[in-house]
Amino acid sequence: MPGADVEWPSKPLTVQEWETLIDDFHNGVHRKWNSLDPLFDLLLSSLFRKEFPLSLKLQLLLFLDEFSLSFFSTHHHFHRLVDALRAVLHAPPDVAAPAFKEQFMVSATSILICASEEVAVEAQTENNLVELLLTVINRPNFGSDRQARGIACECLRELERWKPGLLSDVVGHLWSLCQNERTHASQCYLLLFTSVIHSIVTRKLSVSILNTSVPVVPFNAPQCVAGSGSVSGSDLGSGLKVKELRRAMAFLLEWPQVMTPLGMMEFVSMIIPVAVALELQPSMLKVQFFGMIHSYDPILCHVVLCMYLRFLDAFDGQEGELSRRLLLISRETQHYLVFRLLAIHWLLGFNRLVLGKAKPSLELCSTFYPSLFDPLALKALKLDLLVFVLRLKGGDSDELVDPVKLFEDGLVCVSSFKWLPPGSSETVVAFRTFHKFLIASSSHSDNDPSTTRNLLDSMIFRTLQGLLVNLMLESRRLVPVVSAFVDRLLSCQKHSWLGECLLQKFDGHLLPKVTMDYKLAYCFPIFDRIAENQTIPPRGLLELLTNFMIFLVENHGPDTGMKSWSHGSRALGICRTMLMHHHSSRLFLRLSHLLAFTCLYFPDLEVRDSSRIYLRMLVCIPGKKLKDILNLGDMILGISPSSHPTSFFNVQSPRPSQKFKTFKNLSSCIHLERVAPLLVKQFWSLSLSNLVLSTSKPAYLESIRDLDPPVEEKEFSDSADTQIIPETGRINQPQEPLRVMDSKVAEILNTLRKYFSYVPDFRYMPGLKVRISCSLRFESSNFRRMLGIDKTTTSLEEIDALPAIYATVLKFSSSAPYGSIPSYRIPFLLGEPHNKDPSSQNASLSIVPVGVENDSREEGKYRATVVIDLEPREPTPGIVDVHIETNAENGQIIEGQLKGITVGIEDMFLKAIVPSDIPEDEIPRYYFDLFNTLWEACGSSSSTGRETFQLKGGKGIAAISGTQSVKLLDIPATSLIQATERHLAHFVVGVSGEPLIDAIWEGGIIQNVIWEDASPDATSVTNHDTAPLCLTYNDEQYEKGAISNSRKRNLGCFHVLIFLPPRFHLLFQMEVGDVSTLVRIRTDHWPSLAYIDDYLEALYLS
Amino acid sequence: MMGVAVMGSGCSIRAIWILNNLDAVVFSRRFPVVEKRWRASCNAHNDDTDQLFSSLPTDSDLADAFLDRKHREGSARGFGIRKSNSSPGSDSWGLYTILILPLVEPRHLKAYARLCKRPDCGTAVGMDNAFSSLLLDLPSITGALLVAHAIGDIITGDTVEPEVIVSAAPSVGGLFDSLTGSIGISSRAKPVAPPVASSTPSGAAVPGSVNTDAPKIGSRPLDKDALRTFISSSMPFGTPLDLNYSNIVTMKANGFSTTDLPPADHKQPAWKPYLFKGKQRMLFTIHEIVHAALYDRDEIPDTISVSGQINCRADLEGLPDVSFPMSGLNKANLEVLSYHHCAQVSDQGNLCRWTPMKGFYQLSMVSEDKGAFLFKLHLMEGYKAPSTMEFCTVTMPFPRRRIVSLDGTPSVGTVSTSEHSVEWKIVTSGRGLTGKSIEVTFPGTVKFAPWQNQRLSSSRSSFGIIADEDSDNEADNASNMVNEEHLMEKINKDLPPVDLEEPFCWQAYNYAKVSFKLVGASVSGIAVDPKSVSIYPAVKAPVEFSIQCRWYLLMSSIISGHNQVTSGDYILWNTLVFWGQTIESCSRVAN
Repeated sequence: MPGADVEWPSKPLTVQEWETLIDDFHNGVHRKWNSLDPLFDLLLSSLFRKEFPLSLKLQLLLFLDEFSLSFFSTHHHFHRLVDALRAVLHAPPDVAAPAFKEQFMVSATSILICASEEVAVEAQTENNLVELLLTVINRPNFGSDRQARGIACECLRELERWKPGLLSDVVGHLWSLCQNERTHASQCYLLLFTSVIHSIVTRKLSVSILNTSVPVVPFNAPQCVAGSGSVSGSDLGSGLKVKELRRAMAFLLEWPQVMTPLGMMEFVSMIIPVAVALELQPSMLKVQFFGMIHSYDPILCHVVLCMYLRFLDAFDGQEGELSRRLLLISRETQHYLVFRLLAIHWLLGFNRLVLGKAKPSLELCSTFYPSLFDPLALKALKLDLLVFVLRLKGGDSDELVDPVKLFEDGLVCVSSFKWLPPGSSETVVAFRTFHKFLIASSSHSDNDPSTTRNLLDSMIFRTLQGLLVNLMLESRRLVPVVSAFVDRLLSCQKHSWLGECLLQKFDGHLLPKVTMDYKLAYCFPIFDRIAENQTIPPRGLLELLTNFMIFLVENHGPDTGMKSWSHGSRALGICRTMLMHHHSSRLFLRLSHLLAFTCLYFPDLEVRDSSRIYLRMLVCIPGKKLKDILNLGDMILGISPSSHPTSFFNVQSPRPSQKFKTFKNLSSCIHLERVAPLLVKQFWSLSLSNLVLSTSKPAYLESIRDLDPPVEEKEFSDSADTQIIPETGRINQPQEPLRVMDSKVAEILNTLRKYFSYVPDFRYMPGLKVRISCSLRFESSNFRRMLGIDKTTTSLEEIDALPAIYATVLKFSSSAPYGSIPSYRIPFLLGEPHNKDPSSQNASLSIVPVGVENDSREEGKYRATVVIDLEPREPTPGIVDVHIETNAENGQIIEGQLKGITVGIEDMFLKAIVPSDIPEDEIPRYYFDLFNTLWEACGSSSSTGRETFQLKGGKGIAAISGTQSVKLLDIPATSLIQATERHLAHFVVGVSGEPLIDAIWEGGIIQNVIWEDASPDATSVTNHDTAPLCLTYNDEQYEKGAISNSRKRNLGCFHVLIFLPPRFHLLFQMEVGDVSTLVRIRTDHWPSLAYIDDYLEALYLS
Repeated sequence: MMGVAVMGSGCSIRAIWILNNLDAVVFSRRFPVVEKRWRASCNAHNDDTDQLFSSLPTDSDLADAFLDRKHREGSARGFGIRKSNSSPGSDSWGLYTILILPLVEPRHLKAYARLCKRPDCGTAVGMDNAFSSLLLDLPSITGALLVAHAIGDIITGDTVEPEVIVSAAPSVGGLFDSLTGSIGISSRAKPVAPPVASSTPSGAAVPGSVNTDAPKIGSRPLDKDALRTFISSSMPFGTPLDLNYSNIVTMKANGFSTTDLPPADHKQPAWKPYLFKGKQRMLFTIHEIVHAALYDRDEIPDTISVSGQINCRADLEGLPDVSFPMSGLNKANLEVLSYHHCAQVSDQGNLCRWTPMKGFYQLSMVSEDKGAFLFKLHLMEGYKAPSTMEFCTVTMPFPRRRIVSLDGTPSVGTVSTSEHSVEWKIVTSGRGLTGKSIEVTFPGTVKFAPWQNQRLSSSRSSFGIIADEDSDNEADNASNMVNEEHLMEKINKDLPPVDLEEPFCWQAYNYAKVSFKLVGASVSGIAVDPKSVSIYPAVKAPVEFSIQCRWYLLMSSIISGHNQVTSGDYILWNTLVFWGQTIESCSRVAN
């Protein structure tokens, strides 16, 4: 075999091996190969092996062709290939089958064209190939190889297409071959000739196509091709020989009927540019080819269309005929469906192009209607055509075509007879058409002039609105389809408002009409969309849902359990959607009614529960956070809310345990603080119980005893750290109760008995409570840091950016005898904005005057009020330990200890109990009398010491063992009055002395007390000035005492009655002087004296 | 090297792949020359930097990509209709899939890419760069579709030349029935060749990929050699020139001999590589397809349309011109005429003079498992002289229900039942109905095996919210009278969505078909007078003439009185439960 090396690099491959190899190449294996040289040799030799079947050889040729870039790496390869081709072409038919020869020509040509891109091919090799092919075709009308000649023509045509002008020198010969060829291969000759003419014209080569002086063989590439590629066609000649070319054209146009449709396509695509270049009359082409539009073959129709599009002017006036013809092609049932569809597509595209020229007549429009027997795909496309007509009519006022009629009539074929099931293709087509009709007059391009108003006013829109409403009323199973339709509009930036308008329409027209039954659930998808839409007031939907809930409740029976559950849950799901998308305030009234009704009356427990949760959320959690928390459940579960109405159940999914975390430094960012700071900053506590470890608790320390005889009191010593000096010591109490009483004592006892019978016995009933108002707040930044959320939001003021805690539970405990303290719950709290932190921190460190901190309403939303309810067993200061458990937004549970709350003695101050039979206006008098009575009872000369008084309930008794003390306060009267007014006003039961009364009266703060101005003489106020003063130990104090003596000249006296729970009292008689005041103190709970001194100093002296 | 001359708008193909139903590529062919042109035009257009050109995928890559797309699109197969999640298994991909990648220009591809990636809610009709404009601009798509069909025919063996059926088989009705299967008319109406139930390719394929479904023919091994030969001959360089398979096969098989001389004074057409030799004759065939919708209602006129084809097979030596007049055409009713590209001009007819059958069929489901029906048919109404109805059979198929019992007697004929159908033979073979019209009735009830109320989760619609397990139906039915519409809906619920190519795809549950054969006349009245056929240059040849008529008869009527009462204004199609087909009356006129 020529050119093939005899030494094979490896043994020849078998047939199967070749086939496997080819498959591997097709699957991308060849990319791994570096050099295919040996394989090339093998392949070439295999082509000539006689024992190989023809089919494999053909396959190998195709293989070589498809992967030529891999095989052909040097020009030698090409050389060998062309040599091999020559050998094959010269071989007799029994050696090389015609099919093999043909394929070899094709492959060799293809390889040369493709691989030459990568590898330089010697010009001679190219010429050799062309020469070989020309030799083949140069035998017109020869009988047996007509097919091979045709193929050779095709090969030459490809080469000519590759290098335009390649055959321009021999074009004269080609023409005469064309003229002579009469077999079926004549099409190939004609196409080859046309293609050479085409390149001559496009490259403007100045060659004579009549000239046959250049011999066909040997072939040499003409100058225009052989030269460098930079030589442009225009340089090569003086111009086209137009006359000759026109003759050639005239010849070519004679032969269209010999061509196959696809041949015609090639032909026309080449002669159109030639005709243009030669300035031929397009009407010539039209006469010759327009008849093809009536052909059965789609390609020929398309050829006419191409021609039309190229020569719009020449075909002027034919638009109607073309349109009609295209439409009719679509009605030819013999065609494959795809060509019927194509015809409609052409019509659409075509009409768009000739838009200005011919509008489809009414008559034509009527033929656009889908017909009964059309396949559905065709119907859909014909509906598009109707939309197109509508679009054309968009600007016109002439109502030749009524759009609504167009719309409704068109839809008959897919929907109007009957709405088929939602899954049916007809329904899909119908909704597709709705969409097209709806957006027909508003494109997506930004510069579309059509306005919203136009669209809204359009009859189509109104018709469609009504249609959809009726559709949903009639066939509720289609509601999901409608909602998908709305979704489609909503998701489009340009048309979302259309979706909104539809929803608004539904809100207005669908909601009032739906019947209240179990089938209402079918409408829920659309309700969900309505609920999501903020432009629609939620009122109507809420009313409907409320009625539905009532319906469910009323119709609940033994068989409807599941139904009630399912429908109720889904209705709640819609409420939830509303909560997520509307301002709470907008929903609040109706939604809270709905939810309240549901959680009260709904038969299903789970629905009631959910409803309660939603209600609570609605009430407690502000807007954005509420939306977030409702969203969160979905995000965790990965379910979108709208598609799965059941997913809302999962909001209450079990909490993953790993989210439970205790934080040690919680108190650094979460703060629980007293609203009113204590006056006494320094805290100490008199702890007595430790001193009497061995014995049972002394009876007098028991605030309340049972009705048994009192046990003997025991001695105790004062605590070392008490600061108060019990100057009067303990009042010696008589051991025996008095047997004989004078009337005064009897009166006192009566008063006290009555009084104590109203004091509750905490052991058997709720005791008196002391409330301490606190506020809870937390710092956003610290909180985030603690949780490890590394989100530094820049927009500090945005509430949305602030963290929040949910469902906070504060638990309190104390070592002080405060009884059990109920825990406190805060549903929701927002973190403080970052920039507020510093000031807040300061606030937490120092006591800021009360008024300053509370006035800022803005801060209110970052603080939650916490009330600690104590039920003291003994009026003593102490510390309440605070334990917090709360949830962060990300579902993390936070738990830990906060700073304790200090409880001071002043927290224990309560107003004395007033028996219920005391009329309102006599209360001041009662208080004043009570003060006097208790004053007596607690006095040293008290004769009530032995008496016991039954408490409320009759089980417990209390005894009064009084103690007294005095305190001198060196402050001016005005300060004293102010301080008293501020802190003790509630407890003042009487004021005496005209100057004092005058000073207070005007302030108006102390009211409803007994004013005793009858004794202007201050000295008469007290009988106790003989009592020894404790302030005379040194000079200074003596001086003070001296000064204090001047009080006698002064003002008047306050009577202060303070109740200390559970049943004790604190009585002040404050003799107010100009520069100092003497406070006489009596109490039936002597340990409290220890704190009172500090308290008074803090109150008045600081 | 040289600049690339982008030739106007020809049709070239870059590659062809054929995949089997296991999504493996079983055949592929790439055309490097076309690929080179594509690369060149990409390079010429790479002004904007986007990577337009990519080399062709390997077979395995393509198979993967195709599988991906197939799953994505589901059963809608890119028909331009959005279906969000077509459930797997509901699609109807055929045994083979043919992908053809035509050569387009870069701007087309870009335009299509824009079209596909638009962020909005959908294409408005008639916009710039819409799909239709692209298709109009791209003859290569049209060509690719033709190629796809040609290859599909080769794969399925459906490559018979439209051969004229000279004499009709006696049991032509049965033949037709077996071909169309239990449901549906073949959308593929190749005029003469026996129709094969198949679906046709999508009209909205990607430019650059056209797929066609192979018909539902048994697993026939792919004849790769035949394919390879066909492709190499019809489009040696990827530019198709002739897709006539039988010509190509004949040429490959026979070749040409040196004695096979070309005609002396004509060019032999490329579509006719061989000239006829032998006994000369002419054969005309008229094929008619009648679409008739008989509504049986006063306010809606029946519609009948006849379409068809006249084939002329001229077994004549040389290349003579044949001309003939056609009679019986009513121009006023003539809508459309198409010609083979060899024909100069002539006419074809379209007029229906009479209908051999009128009547109605009612089937009303009285319960889930029981239906009452009534047929009332007039045969040979408006009887016309030379026709004979050779046989007439009505079949009620219930492909999804099993018939338990049938109760009822027809006024004429015999009834037999099989598991899934009821057959009523009105006119039996050999006892043809001639010369009179008759009216026949058949009332009765049919009972089915209990309906398995499958609540298929997979059958939920793609919008799928509704089908929750509410027990609405029971409650409503209990409280209400039997709601028939509801019942029908329920029974029909689990039927799969219809194929877009089926015109009568809804209500596939209840329909009946009518087969009959008429002998004696064409419906349109069209005729070719054998005596007027002239041949130039004159040759004496016998002229044969045959008529075939295929009926698609759609009948509909009232469903039940009950329904009428409840909805007085219901429209016709409410009750559409019937479509019938009657077929093929053939007659032979021998000269």
